[in-house]
Amino acid sequence: MNITNILLILPIWKPIVEIAILWFVIYHMMLFFEGTRAIQVLRGIVIIMVAFFLFQILDLQILNWLLTKLFAISVIAVLVIFHPEIRHGLARLGQRHLFSAVLREEELDYILKEAGKAAENLSKDKIGALIAIEKNDSLAAYIESGAFIDARVSADLIQAIFTPNNPLHDGGLVIQQGRVMAAGCLFPITQNPDLSRIFGTRHRAALGLSEETDAVVIIVSEERQDMSLVYRGKLYKDIGREEMISKIKEFMKLKE
Amino acid sequence: MPEKKVNFSYRIAHFFTYHPWLKIIALVLAIVVWFYVKEEINRFN
Repeated sequence: MNITNILLILPIWKPIVEIAILWFVIYHMMLFFEGTRAIQVLRGIVIIMVAFFLFQILDLQILNWLLTKLFAISVIAVLVIFHPEIRHGLARLGQRHLFSAVLREEELDYILKEAGKAAENLSKDKIGALIAIEKNDSLAAYIESGAFIDARVSADLIQAIFTPNNPLHDGGLVIQQGRVMAAGCLFPITQNPDLSRIFGTRHRAALGLSEETDAVVIIVSEERQDMSLVYRGKLYKDIGREEMISKIKEFMKLKE
Repeated sequence: MPEKKVNFSYRIAHFFTYHPWLKIIALVLAIVVWFYVKEEINRFN
């Protein structure tokens, strides 16, 4: 008896496969919305769905009718509320590298050593910096907004770029495929209303980029003279050089 | 970009430690949606 026959006999496999696929899709949708303002709306929808299911089990007809009508309207509401997220999601589908070159671990170590050294020196000198390291999602669209460089990563180069009065010091630097690809790049600003007012445009741009892509972003604050890290919409404030390097390695290793 | 080769035990550990609550909520939602759709299909048949 082959596997196809066994699957046909067992009636249970279809629901399991269907639920597993649904689980996969819902989990990835939630993962996508995690860290964005849309997660609050999503939480509300989850509560309504669970309530709807309970009303059906308990046979509460009035509440059930109300929620059914609400569902019909909510389709349009969801499209309007999630408009920016849907747009970003579709854009990200096209950003994925299909045949991305994998950096060797020694190359990553070298890049992080140089970037860490530059960030530490810049923070000591009270100079702000914004460095994005590409992971899976392409940063090509952001590279286009800045000045193209395509140079080997070095601490001296990064420090030189962020030195005040340098034409490229405003904006972000992008490291792509192990090279400094561009500087003076414009990153999207986060719309997160929960972000403290003490964070300026640099932190907001780093968060905005990390909400739209899986890039790891290093921020050096000129006012507080500290280094921070942003990944997937989450800010890791005031961290040391070693901690920053180990966190970046961990994020780069994560498969999503 | 860089992706270190990870072994099977790391993958299993990562599955349970990376967003465990999100996975549980997603599973509950998947079951709720499946039963809801099943009931809707049965109602029309």
